[in-house]
Amino acid sequence: MSIDGQTTAGPVEPGKAGTPATRRAVIVGGNRIPFARAGGQYAKSSNLDMLTAALDGLIARFGLQDERIGEVAAGAVLKHSRDFNLTREAVLGSALSAETPAYDLQQACATGLETVVGLANKIKLGQIDSAIAGGVDSASDAPIVVSEGLREVILDLNRARTLPQRLQVLSRLRPKDLAPLAPGTAEPRTGLSMGEHQALTTAQWKVSREAQDELAFNSHRNLAAAYEAGFFDDLVTPYRGLSRDGNLRADTSLEKLATLKPVFGKNLGAGATMTAGNSTPLTDGASTVLLASEAWADAHDLPKLAAVVDAEAAAVDFVHGKDGLLMAPVFAVPRLLARHGLTLADIDFFEIHEAFAATVLSTLAAWEDEEFGRTRLGLEGAFGSVDRSRLNVNGSSLAAGHPFAATGGRIAASLAKQLHAKAGADGRPVRGLVSVCAAGGQGVVALLESL
Amino acid sequence: MTSTQPVILGEMPSLSKLYVNAAAQAARRRLLGTHEGSVLPAESHEVRGVTVDVATLTAYQHLIGETASDVLPAGFLHALAFPLAMSVMNRDDFPLPLLGMIHLRNSVQQRVPLHFSDTLDISARVENLRGHRAGTQVDLIAEVRRRGSGEICWLGISTYLAKGVFLPGIDKASAAPARTEFTAPDPTALWHLGVDTGRAYAAVSGDFNPIHLSVLSAKALGMRRSIAHGMYLAARALADVGPSRGDSFTWDVEFDAPVFLPCTVALEINSVEDDAGAWSRSGFVAWNPRSGRRHFHGSVGAL
Repeated sequence: MSIDGQTTAGPVEPGKAGTPATRRAVIVGGNRIPFARAGGQYAKSSNLDMLTAALDGLIARFGLQDERIGEVAAGAVLKHSRDFNLTREAVLGSALSAETPAYDLQQACATGLETVVGLANKIKLGQIDSAIAGGVDSASDAPIVVSEGLREVILDLNRARTLPQRLQVLSRLRPKDLAPLAPGTAEPRTGLSMGEHQALTTAQWKVSREAQDELAFNSHRNLAAAYEAGFFDDLVTPYRGLSRDGNLRADTSLEKLATLKPVFGKNLGAGATMTAGNSTPLTDGASTVLLASEAWADAHDLPKLAAVVDAEAAAVDFVHGKDGLLMAPVFAVPRLLARHGLTLADIDFFEIHEAFAATVLSTLAAWEDEEFGRTRLGLEGAFGSVDRSRLNVNGSSLAAGHPFAATGGRIAASLAKQLHAKAGADGRPVRGLVSVCAAGGQGVVALLESL
Repeated sequence: MTSTQPVILGEMPSLSKLYVNAAAQAARRRLLGTHEGSVLPAESHEVRGVTVDVATLTAYQHLIGETASDVLPAGFLHALAFPLAMSVMNRDDFPLPLLGMIHLRNSVQQRVPLHFSDTLDISARVENLRGHRAGTQVDLIAEVRRRGSGEICWLGISTYLAKGVFLPGIDKASAAPARTEFTAPDPTALWHLGVDTGRAYAAVSGDFNPIHLSVLSAKALGMRRSIAHGMYLAARALADVGPSRGDSFTWDVEFDAPVFLPCTVALEINSVEDDAGAWSRSGFVAWNPRSGRRHFHGSVGAL
């Protein structure tokens, strides 16, 4: 059948593509610092400071002092040019062996999850035995760049050899060139902010304000309950006086959320539904995940929470509105599950990153849509439904906040712990699915299984 | 040990007031004749319940090259205790002139890591007045404890020289030991220190001694140019040793020649491992790459 979408292939024999007959890569554990609202406790902390703090907590938790780790990968979305070697610098500033190699990675909000996937693949292939994945972002300590006009003048001034040449270059400078530019969240090709893009998708899938507020409410409720239950005791290390995520509102209510004014999609008139309460705020924070081969974890007497089974990336053509900016996971998940002969019903826990409440709800709506399943996913009908009681059970980005590159590590470590606990209680293997949307119309999804 | 009761100050003294007071005291002594004593005040000075300003801490960490962790850097604790130490040397019964004293060496034991949220009790006293071939030297001892605890978490001994001051009853030390020639090793690092280095460290440490701030203010005090703070240099060397030092360590530095600003300083840091391959100490030495003159040297060791 020819469809105007992205088809899904069937299961793949082990040993062929997708599930190489190689060894397992397991998640040993994770550590992050609490996420702070921008301009809050971490306002003066740099990406390097926060990534090192998260790394140091991980090292302390798992006794990795002086350990030469196979490789460390992390990244930041908002990155200073001086931080070209951010992850390596964090390693050098940590108690790890200085002989631990590291690389930076950048895939917008999927950065953190992609570091987990890439390093897990290296472990599966036998290239390394241990790895630390991570990510960090600061919306407070964001890079400010000079205008194009000033930048060109400075570069030309550097090349000018004589005084008249220098004066000539300087004479090009205009007052407007002196205004600094702060980073924005607008898509370069559309000029629309991420929120404005999502507002279009929200309207397209007719996601109601009430449904969004309910999802946001559940995020806060679940995150607060997880903190109360001590779930994060071995996942989070306090930093700069913060011991819980600064954005968490344990006392929020549907009534309070309903009072907030829409901030995105205001040009849609009465259709505007996205508020500060059901959108993630700008946040500062960092996360890390310790990955290993089973043999390495055993030799170091460390836990094995879950295996990183497989992952899939997808992208959509959002520029001219064929799909919504944040809808790529809608295509990635069916492909990933099909490769393993699984359906949504086979997944015990879903971690769908809450860029906006409406992002999650638009994704679920697309999967439940018969026509979308047929014409865009190449299926016989709708892809399926997600059992809401299995969705973001320990809270997600709406409550915790979303320091862009740090979100993947937060989710991977928390989900691995959740899977391990559930498997221990039920006495059966438990599967988890991670889905992270990203700027540029991209998405990365991953499948974890308890050990 | 002395049984003298400590003088408990209500708050950390202001360094700028201390410097003004020291200048006034110097003038007074010039007019009225020097204080004739050769005995150090026995009382220690103490401030209880000191808290750390996290913004200052972060600025200090960034300037020195430490990552902004929640643990207080050993050099930050020195800066925190410094005004109290100055207040002891600013006493009328302190026999040496505070202004113009030269920081010869500094020795720190970071025994227990302190957290930025800890409330601290800090005490300072002077000890060991003794001769030096060029004058009289004295040790300034500072101790930092967690509030209400007897355990010393951080101990600093700063040795100062009052150049050209010879007190009655204090023997001049025997002739200077034969100076060992310093041969510069291959550098492992170069520091490019701008003319604003002193001002930047003054802003995070609170030590606005005019000899560090600008050419003019340094000249007013008889220096040819402004010089870098010794503890800024020592703290950067400590930061360069890096996290292998662990949570508790010793940190010693001897200052050989002032670092005039602006300049480039060459540095060599080496590490010694024990038989098991674990870090045991790092030595550091810094010199002027043009003249080959040694600026300071020292070591960081496992405690």
